[in-house]
Amino acid sequence: MEDTLLRIEEISKHFGGVYAVNEVNLNVDHGGIWGLVGPNGSGKSTLFNTILGLHKPDHGDIYFEDKCVTNLAPHQMYDLGLANAFQVPRLFYSMTVLDNMLVAARRQQGDKLFNGLFLRRRWQEQEKGLISEALDILDIVGLDELSFTPAKELSGGQRKLLELGRGLMAKPKLLLLDEPAAGINPVLGKRIFEKLRDLSKNGIAFFIVEHRLELLFEFASWVYVMDKGKLVLAGEPKTITDNPLFYSIYLGDE
Amino acid sequence: MDPLLYVLDLVVFIGIFSIVAISLNLEFGFTGLANFGKVAFFLIGAYTYALLSNIGVPFFFCLMAGAVIAAAFGLLISLPALRLRADYLSIAVLAFGEILRLFVKSEDWLAGGDWGLTVAPAISVAGVSHRTDAFINIALVYFCLAICFLVIHYLANAPYGRAIRAIREDEVAAEALGKNVSKYKAQVLMLGSAMTGIAGGLYVQYLHCVLPNMFMPMITFTVWIMVLLGGPGNSWGVLLGAGLVEIFDRGTNILKDYISIPIDPSNLQYILFGTLIILILLYRPQGLLKESTVRTKVQRLIYNGRHTIKNRRN
Ligand SMILES: Nc1ncnc2c1ncn2[C@@H]1O[C@H](COP(=O)(O)OP(=O)(O)OP(=O)(O)O)[C@@H](O)[C@H]1O
Ligand SMILES: [Mg+2]
Repeated sequence: MEDTLLRIEEISKHFGGVYAVNEVNLNVDHGGIWGLVGPNGSGKSTLFNTILGLHKPDHGDIYFEDKCVTNLAPHQMYDLGLANAFQVPRLFYSMTVLDNMLVAARRQQGDKLFNGLFLRRRWQEQEKGLISEALDILDIVGLDELSFTPAKELSGGQRKLLELGRGLMAKPKLLLLDEPAAGINPVLGKRIFEKLRDLSKNGIAFFIVEHRLELLFEFASWVYVMDKGKLVLAGEPKTITDNPLFYSIYLGDE
Repeated sequence: MDPLLYVLDLVVFIGIFSIVAISLNLEFGFTGLANFGKVAFFLIGAYTYALLSNIGVPFFFCLMAGAVIAAAFGLLISLPALRLRADYLSIAVLAFGEILRLFVKSEDWLAGGDWGLTVAPAISVAGVSHRTDAFINIALVYFCLAICFLVIHYLANAPYGRAIRAIREDEVAAEALGKNVSKYKAQVLMLGSAMTGIAGGLYVQYLHCVLPNMFMPMITFTVWIMVLLGGPGNSWGVLLGAGLVEIFDRGTNILKDYISIPIDPSNLQYILFGTLIILILLYRPQGLLKESTVRTKVQRLIYNGRHTIKNRRN
């Protein structure tokens, strides 16, 4: 198996005159926790949305398992094995927590028109397994008691947790998490990162944007640093924190 | 007029418009597609039925052809639906319905222009009374309604129903979670249009004629009121809405023979409809019956005994 899962080559994306992402190159391998940090507005979310296929890059190419995916639609990226959790949750608010989870399930039998109508046995059989998987994940993110609550009744932090749970439910090869610990209490945040580390040992790669640097640097094995749309640093957390450039980016002195 | 016949006639109308209303509920209530061109598909089904039945094609095939052609047009409008913002799409399909009506009105060669066509009844028994004729139509219409209702009900309570609701709630998130949004929209518009086409066929074969003026934009708005009143996303609610609106329509029609007012009574009816829609949207936006959540068989089992979830963990 080729080691590189995601390869980004010279990706640029601008909005009007602003280069949100500027000629970024980076790799993510199978498995492990990969970090992406940088000040507010440095282009992290834009980079994630470009990988997802929500933005078309102005320049450059994206490869997923050595296949060029630059112009694929988001649902095609999902089919290849990508999933994400948005920075600002985008839940299906009038649907229950459990239904939000089930929408995300991979390789569903009953979400096709014909199967949904005529192969009811088949998807009903599958659904039992999916519901029990969903409840296990909801247990991890601490929402299992709220399975039948409409998502609109969740608190801000609970919405972030469901967003994360939905990403996990998609069983991807690569999961993009945009600030999963934002608004989550420190104890649960740490427990979730421990769980992600366990899952990453089974081959899922996590690519995580996080402003809680101490938490990310404890778990990530490799960290990329962006500033003003450019990729400026890359390395193991230890070498990043040792680099004076890293602090000057955040403090803003040139 | 025979009062029983009047009631039977009302029942037929409720059935026909219920088909249109539940198909709009599939499109708007479940999928969030604001289709303001319902009357166009109704017209397509009606004229297809009329033209084919006049050259001797059997009833069932006329109805199916109307469904297929309406579905093809549904596919056609789903293409701009992917690019246009919802409000622009509404205006575009609204115009589409009116253009079609003006087209059949002015093209005399096609279907008699303004004068329309007469349509033979589907099942004609010599010397049958009007009542029996109405009963036959009730059987036909409600058979079709039952099939459409079941299709929508099954889809809404399958993973498919979850997917289209997800698209209604947040297209971007649904797409990121692997749902091919444009495919779902196209399917829903095709299915909804096919059902509306069937209703159009039933309508003209019941009335024995087809005229351009049977397809005024008001039909679209009436069907919208049925859905909004009954409860978008609730099939039973929409049936209720269809019944109530149809009765209200007849009621005001009867009333206008008894009371005299200084304005044209049919305009008053429009004003009442408009007021009704505003009142619903202001005070009961969810309609009479609330949206039903997805209930697959497995979920129903869990829901009816929540304890089974907790036991599972021990
Ligand atoms: N849809 C958009 N239209 C115009 N400009 C945008 C858009 N999205 C992002 N930008 C701009 O692109 C730049 C990068 O934004 P982005 O959201 O990627 O930052 P970020 O690194 O995720 O920041 P944060 O840590 O605050 O989430 C910002 O200057 C922002 O104003
Ligand atoms: Mg961001």
